[in-house]
Amino acid sequence: MSKKEVLISSLILFLLLSFARGQEEKGFPFPIEQYKLKNGLQVILSEDYYLPLVSIVVAYNVGSIHEKPGKEGLAYLLENLMFQGSMNIGRMQHISFIQRIGGELNAATTENKTIFYQTVPSNQLALVLWLESDRMKSLEINTSNVERMKEALIEEIRHRKATDLYLESSIFFDQLLFPNFTHSHPVFGNEASLREITEEDVRIFYSTYYRPNNAVLSITGNIDKKKTLQLIRKYFETIPKGKEITPLPLVKFPEKKSIVNTHQDSLASLPAFFLGYRIAAPYSDDYYPLRIIDYILLHGKTSRLYKRLIKKERIAFDLSGGIEERRELAAFKIFIINSNEIMMERSKKAIFSEINKLKTTLISEKELKKSKNMFKMDYINQYSTYMERSIFLAEEYMAKNNLENFPKELERYLAVTPAEIIGLMNRYFTPKNILLNVKIK
Amino acid sequence: MKLRTKILPFFFFFLVLCGLKFPLISQERFRKSPPYPDPLPELKLPPVESAILSNGLALSVIYRDNLPVITLRLIILTGESASPEKFPGTATFTANMLNRGTLRLSLSDIEEKIESIGGRFSTSTSPDYSMFTFTFSEEGLNESLDILSKMILQPSFSEKEIANVRRSMFYELVRRASEPEYVAKRQLYHLLFRDHPYRKSTYNEDVLKNIKKNNLLSFYDKYYRPNNARLVLTGNLNLRTATRKVSRYLNTWQRKDKEFSFISSPDPNDRLKIIFVDIPHEKDVTIYMGNIISPLSNDDFFPLVVLNQVLGGTPASRLFMNLRESKGYAYYAFSEIELFKACGVFFIKAKVRPEVIHASVMETLREIEKIAQEEIPSFEIEQAKSYLIGNFPLKIETFDNLSLKVSQIQAFQLGEEHWSKYYENIMLIDSKKVHEIAQKYPILTTVVVIVGNKDILIDHLREFEEVEVYNNKGILQYSIKKEEFE
Repeated sequence: MSKKEVLISSLILFLLLSFARGQEEKGFPFPIEQYKLKNGLQVILSEDYYLPLVSIVVAYNVGSIHEKPGKEGLAYLLENLMFQGSMNIGRMQHISFIQRIGGELNAATTENKTIFYQTVPSNQLALVLWLESDRMKSLEINTSNVERMKEALIEEIRHRKATDLYLESSIFFDQLLFPNFTHSHPVFGNEASLREITEEDVRIFYSTYYRPNNAVLSITGNIDKKKTLQLIRKYFETIPKGKEITPLPLVKFPEKKSIVNTHQDSLASLPAFFLGYRIAAPYSDDYYPLRIIDYILLHGKTSRLYKRLIKKERIAFDLSGGIEERRELAAFKIFIINSNEIMMERSKKAIFSEINKLKTTLISEKELKKSKNMFKMDYINQYSTYMERSIFLAEEYMAKNNLENFPKELERYLAVTPAEIIGLMNRYFTPKNILLNVKIK
Repeated sequence: MKLRTKILPFFFFFLVLCGLKFPLISQERFRKSPPYPDPLPELKLPPVESAILSNGLALSVIYRDNLPVITLRLIILTGESASPEKFPGTATFTANMLNRGTLRLSLSDIEEKIESIGGRFSTSTSPDYSMFTFTFSEEGLNESLDILSKMILQPSFSEKEIANVRRSMFYELVRRASEPEYVAKRQLYHLLFRDHPYRKSTYNEDVLKNIKKNNLLSFYDKYYRPNNARLVLTGNLNLRTATRKVSRYLNTWQRKDKEFSFISSPDPNDRLKIIFVDIPHEKDVTIYMGNIISPLSNDDFFPLVVLNQVLGGTPASRLFMNLRESKGYAYYAFSEIELFKACGVFFIKAKVRPEVIHASVMETLREIEKIAQEEIPSFEIEQAKSYLIGNFPLKIETFDNLSLKVSQIQAFQLGEEHWSKYYENIMLIDSKKVHEIAQKYPILTTVVVIVGNKDILIDHLREFEEVEVYNNKGILQYSIKKEEFE
């Protein structure tokens, strides 16, 4: 074999190895194939030929927990800047390209991920890959864009603060519930922190986190797998890999202790309270049954708290809540609005009484089955459209770094028994909870 | 930094050597412009199979097997327009009573049964029909039909639940009376449907106290009949299974032969009117303006859809680009077509700054006039068509939307081609057809409803020649001419 032949063979071998070939994976409710490009971009494809549509999601493993104190809102700012143009695409053109062909799009930032998603006619797949790859490769970051977007977001914060009742209290409650700045500050930041963000901060954040090795590309719809892979390689494979990102250290909740606090809310028109319990980490063994407990207590008109506080005793004006995840932490939150402080105290008593009942008395099989069925419907509905399926797969992958457990995950949620519920209630719903009373000004 | 200074001279030397092969701009050629799309893929609509059961109930099944879920819609083909003249709201009230208890089941029992199959249940009433929507896991089909049959065949109409429904409807209407979009649209329809039965759907909370149990029972007895209903099931099931199961639970539902009154098309409004409704504490101004499109034939519908798209279908349409992007008057400005059995309504909605109400209305009227008088350039027509064709599958993606679309087509008797030939119908539209439609219908003689805070707007309203002032219950307070403004 000549040197040239050796070189070509090595090159082919290198390409084969660097572009790990996917296989249709078994046990999923829909077809899935996974690939990893040589620059580290994780690709998930799910074919579905029902409609001539395709949904493309690009999810970056970055969110507000990656922000430094004094720079809150940077992740959300960058999400917005992603629509302000890149080397070959003008300001807001991403939106107009998608809308012109009848597509729909949006983006979202959470504490640990930033997701861009769109659904378009399936013959326009290449257009979206062109748009998404251009902003991953060469986002236009300049003073004018950064300053304009900062002003827009500051305006948005002012609007939120002027119209979103109880927002102020909710931010304060998160600071009590979550142990540190990283997990407790709001994704949209605040006016002062947004003003502090410089163009250089944005550049560093972008070049660190908006890299293919820190992203998942998830595509669902009417696609030809082979051709889709060719297009993905064409548009994404030459985007350079970023530096390895050192994962943030995992945080634990501090030793349990009861916290009671009061906050005067400038917008609130009725008294209210937040009640929080620090529970097991997402996707730990205890987390799965706790999600069903969430349904027993709070979901639907026949859930225990809704029945007791809203229907039977009529002591609460509004009731909401559920499990909230913040990367490695999870908390169970309840938020109640009352017509007066007497009702507020009665509501607290009623909640503690319902929690105690679940701690001491076995739930009937019938009631448990009902909660499981409601959970199951919501779980399935998470992937009922192409866009939802793409987002679901990207999020699943990012939460666990693989999709291996997905085929058995629903079963895991539904496996909980009445006896386990008593054990979990006693472990996590202790008197060492966090309570914030909201007073009106 | 040190590494960079060492690499750079070498890099330039390398580029000089290979200059002819490597362009200085380090990006691939394909990144410079958008790729061409592939040919438009074929849209295969799910099969819709239909049958009429022995008691006259029309059943349709839309087959979809990609989720273990079923959506059931029961449509009673009589809506608010059939409420007694003195008791508007009766149709909605009756519909809201159905899940409030049967002879043997209380409201709580029904809720338990629904949630035990992971189900969700909702009710809605339009001028033409009442619709009951039930979504549940596919194992729950028998259970859901059992619950539905009990609700339909044995509703209890207990005085206690009548009082509860009256109270919740009252508070809901009071709550909505502070939403400017709701108030503006209700006022627009109140005036457009002035002598027409559809006006009854614009009732306010005051009418509820007059509706008694006998009104509800009489409405139920007259219209809740299988031969005045349609059942649409969407999910992984076929017509044969569905017919067997539905017959088992609903075959005792008695038909009642009766001539249901035909609703004629309403006459369009014939002159421009400016209406004002005061909502205190509202900072911005909401404008709803429109007219009746009547009678609306199937041939005219598709050119009208394209016209609507060019004028105000999306943020890329003329109204948004002009009122928001160019003039900076509006937060949003869109147009819509709402279909009814007897007509259509073409309307524009916008939220604008108080100081530019007059300019915004005038600019919107100019846009309507332009679209009515000048032929739309072909490229704009093609852009609108491209959007509509691309967006159509998105509108029927969920079970809910798909079954709603089919249910509405059936309720309005639009014919199967209304959706099965959607692509073809849109493709055939050109500038000439849109121009003909724009001239055929009276889109210029609109009713303009302005909703906002009187204290802020009084100075700006005086710019109009004449303004009719209504309270937010649809009652005319007074008219004021330009010269009469203090």
